[in-house]
Amino acid sequence: MLSLRDVSLALQGKALIKAFSLDIAAGEIVTVMGPSGSGKSSLLSFIGGDLDEAFTAQGEILLHGERLNDVPPERRGIARLFQDDLLFPHMTVGENLLFAVPRMPQDERVAAMMAALETAELKGFENRPPHTLSGGQRSRVALMRALLARPRAILLDEPFSKLDRELRVSIRGFTHDHIVKRQIPALLVTHDLGDAPLGGRILKLTAAGEVIDV
Amino acid sequence: MLRQLAALPLFLIFLLPLALSLALILPTIAEAAAFKALLNHPQLWGAAGLTLFTGLISTVLSLICALMIIAGRIDKPPQAGAMLALPHLSLAIGLSLLIMPAGLLARIIALPFGWTSPPMWATTQDRYGLALTAALVLKETPFLVWAFASLLNRDDLRQAFRGQSAVARSLGRGPASVFLRIIAPQLLNRTVWPLVAVLAYSLTVVDMAIVIGPTQPPTLAQIIWTDLNDAEPAIEARGAAGVLVLSTVILLLLWVVGLSVRLGRPYSRKWLSGPPDTGHRKISFLTQTWGLWGLFYSAIVILLLFQSASGLWPFPDLLPESLTFSAWEKLLSDGRPLLTSFLLALGTAMTALAASVVWFEGMRPSGDKIMLWLAAFLLCLPSLLIGLGQYRLFLALGITGTALAMFLAHVLPVVAYVFIMLQGPYRGFDQRWQTTAAGLGQRRVAFLRQIKWPMLKAPILAAFAVGFAVSIAQYVPAQLAAAGRYSTLPIEAVTLSSGGNRALVAAYGAALMALPLIVFLLAQWLSRPRWRAR
Amino acid sequence: MLNRRHFLALTAAGLSLRPAFAADWAAIEAEAKGQTVYFNAWAGSEQVNGYIAWAGEEAKKRFGITVEHVKITDTAEVVKRVRDEVVAGKADGSVDLVWINGENFRTMKTEKLLFGPFSESLPNYQFVDVEGKATVTQDFSESVDSLEAPWGMAQLTFFADGAKVAEPPLSMAALTRFAEANPGRVTYPAPPEFHGTTFIKQMLLEAVINPSMFYKPGDGAIFSTVRAVWESMLDGLHKNCWREGKQFPKSQADVTQMVADGELLIGFTFNPNEPANLVAAGRLPPTTIAWQHKKGTIGNTHFVAIPMNAKAKAAAQVFANFLLSPEAQARKNDIKLWGDPTVLALSKLSPEEQQAFAATAAPGSVTLPGPTLLEPHASWVPLVEQAWLERYGKG
Repeated sequence: MLSLRDVSLALQGKALIKAFSLDIAAGEIVTVMGPSGSGKSSLLSFIGGDLDEAFTAQGEILLHGERLNDVPPERRGIARLFQDDLLFPHMTVGENLLFAVPRMPQDERVAAMMAALETAELKGFENRPPHTLSGGQRSRVALMRALLARPRAILLDEPFSKLDRELRVSIRGFTHDHIVKRQIPALLVTHDLGDAPLGGRILKLTAAGEVIDV
Repeated sequence: MLRQLAALPLFLIFLLPLALSLALILPTIAEAAAFKALLNHPQLWGAAGLTLFTGLISTVLSLICALMIIAGRIDKPPQAGAMLALPHLSLAIGLSLLIMPAGLLARIIALPFGWTSPPMWATTQDRYGLALTAALVLKETPFLVWAFASLLNRDDLRQAFRGQSAVARSLGRGPASVFLRIIAPQLLNRTVWPLVAVLAYSLTVVDMAIVIGPTQPPTLAQIIWTDLNDAEPAIEARGAAGVLVLSTVILLLLWVVGLSVRLGRPYSRKWLSGPPDTGHRKISFLTQTWGLWGLFYSAIVILLLFQSASGLWPFPDLLPESLTFSAWEKLLSDGRPLLTSFLLALGTAMTALAASVVWFEGMRPSGDKIMLWLAAFLLCLPSLLIGLGQYRLFLALGITGTALAMFLAHVLPVVAYVFIMLQGPYRGFDQRWQTTAAGLGQRRVAFLRQIKWPMLKAPILAAFAVGFAVSIAQYVPAQLAAAGRYSTLPIEAVTLSSGGNRALVAAYGAALMALPLIVFLLAQWLSRPRWRAR
Repeated sequence: MLNRRHFLALTAAGLSLRPAFAADWAAIEAEAKGQTVYFNAWAGSEQVNGYIAWAGEEAKKRFGITVEHVKITDTAEVVKRVRDEVVAGKADGSVDLVWINGENFRTMKTEKLLFGPFSESLPNYQFVDVEGKATVTQDFSESVDSLEAPWGMAQLTFFADGAKVAEPPLSMAALTRFAEANPGRVTYPAPPEFHGTTFIKQMLLEAVINPSMFYKPGDGAIFSTVRAVWESMLDGLHKNCWREGKQFPKSQADVTQMVADGELLIGFTFNPNEPANLVAAGRLPPTTIAWQHKKGTIGNTHFVAIPMNAKAKAAAQVFANFLLSPEAQARKNDIKLWGDPTVLALSKLSPEEQQAFAATAAPGSVTLPGPTLLEPHASWVPLVEQAWLERYGKG
């Protein structure tokens, strides 16, 4: 379970998000919506651990009971997905995926990578450079990469906004399914209501900085 | 057809002169007797070994230092411009003033020990060329840092790296891992040719080797230099044979390095995507050395300035017996060399820049390879050889001792450096910007002037500044082409310094730095990002 | 009023079999007016540069000639430039007058790159000390043949800080003993640098009782008869040299600087008055002393020559003649200005002119002079250089 306790965010003294608390259960995807500039991405940065210095944040982040505030980003076990797939351009698709696989015997790592490719319906793509893949394919690889790291939570920052409409639908479904399957708490930030999973909790971040349950 | 025209400027100022010069000089190179004489040279093997050692080690060390510095300053890339302005010769002189047995360090250490004579250290001119290697590393590291920083200052790359770093960290990689596996490889991919230029320079450097390198044996480049300068045709021919040998060695070396990289690629790729380290290593505090580098360079400049104004300064005095400005008076008494140098540097750097940009805009990227190879090839040739070839060309055309000859002599290496420095960043420019602009109805020229060039201002200004500095420091080809009719700052410096007046040498060392320094600082200031990165 | 000089001139004109220069000379001077002479001369010394500047101004005032001092580092550059221009068929060469001697002269003479004969026809040549200074007509044992005009004298001279060196060593053997007593404080620049080569030539001359063999052409066979002795002398010196003789400084200028620093105790030069110059310039301490070896040190004459494709041959000759004039030679000899010894015979000058050459002692002038030894034949140079490189060139 991912918990936020009295979290608030301010930019150069001006309050962006007023203090709120949130619990996200395993396998639950909570969607946060709000106008651009409202601080949604910064909230994710705060949770992920790389909040820009210009911001000040307060409150506690707890993951499975562990307090994460002073833990560096790489130790938090929280995966991030962005608008851009951000696949490493100097590595092949396979290497991008391998990069995320934790420490274990090499043949097991490769097996995990191959399995991930198959799940993404990209079998045989391991030696392809990222730029030869289509947008949808890249999104799938990005998600698989994030999941291969066996994260304890996952943060999604408008991950579908660059995809076209039809693709969006399939990738959304793909993403939701896999997150639920892994039973990881997830926080999704978007300005498109359609991105939210059916039946999932939706929070709205108002211009006044309040978080409202919708 | 229009595409081909884009190659015309570079063709005229670089390719054609280079080809003609080589054609005129190559017949002299291939004399069998000269090769035999070279093989009989008693110092040949020692010199070759020394050259390879100092060249390779200094390049590798420079690369490691540059990467370490960048790793420590990823968010705020360091500005190396001022350091690049210090001519290599001046750096070597300053370093030797610092570490030689009668140098400043020795004098400071002598204080508690009460020495009255300089110690018998072999700090300069040491057998293995360590002092020379140190001088090379000191000079080349800021150059590489500058190359890396120009890339990091590009908005698009910076954003991409930020995002990728965040992703990588979210996948459980510590900062050191992120730098080594994600950022560094992408930086290196884009700076191959500057690295080649560094290697070529270390293997062919003469003036630094003369000042601070060993004599028995000297480096191969030095032997070639001495031979090529000899009036005796047989010895001159031996020197030319030496050039061929050295150039072949360099090409072979590059091929070997390229091969090793290729062979090692599977292993390096495996490592790149390998399992996370257990330690989540932070980037060591040892990378925070940039301040020290700046301090060191400042110390060298101050030492040079100080030396330029000092009279008799026997060991172990910490201060000279008298201060005198006679060296500066001499230097400033004739303003013509300074003006000539400045105008040439300005003209050649701008021309090289314009010609390169025209090439990049008109020619396909696949054509770059030829230019890059030729530029690197030029840098691998001892300047004396190419200078001689050019000189023969000018002689045949009857233009020795003219302004045109001076321009052509200076522009050749300037083009090489400018092209090499600009190719990576310019070609790497995201094409989508152009499509975006076209989609907005913007015409090509407007796009260039308002979007592309401003976005590329950092690499463009960097290339200009480097070209300017290279031109100012040009000696051999200029001296030959001038045929006694023109004098530039380096020509004056070398001649007047052959009398061994250390104050005069230091004064010229400092003067040679002044103009490039101003240009670099200007370039740096003009290329700062418009907003602090978010 | 007839004075001695006029008398000599008339006699010379009457006795000489060469064409009477009086009439020709006026024509040359007339042609020279308005010409520019590009005088290619080594510029590593402020004193030299200052002198050439003065000479240029005088030439302008008196003869209407403009003199451009083309500053060069190594005369070999000029040789090559002239050679290249002649081969390329360039008639108006970039060099009108060049400061030259020794190997470079020999090269230019052999390759027929020089204009002349001309020097012995110069009006002021009559004052040259051909009898007393053999090197004026034999340059490195190569006959001058009037192809270059003598300018000044040079002799290998040693110097040191008198406060540190009480008894200067007056021979190579003494120098070796000195090195033993002061290890690491003596050295010489590495051949083939000019001064380094001279040093080892000096060692060669002192290696045998009768050095006359070196004035004839040498080859490998002849050399091998003295090689062992010469090398053992060098070995003996090297083991107590700076860096144990494994490394050598690059140039004589470096050695001079190291003496000024105190890193070396003994330095040397080819201009006997250079130490005094350096003291006056504040680059050596006032306690500097200078000396030559008791049995003599190598000396020679330096010259000015005109390339065969020079553009301003007339002006070059007029300027060369001016450089030979008693007035110009006296000024050059002045230890406060340059201190380069004259090529003229003082006995051939009038009493007033002789006064101008009165030797002034200055701190750093030679106190222990020695005779001038002739340079060995030029063919010995590659022999000793190669031998030295083979034995000592690998550190």
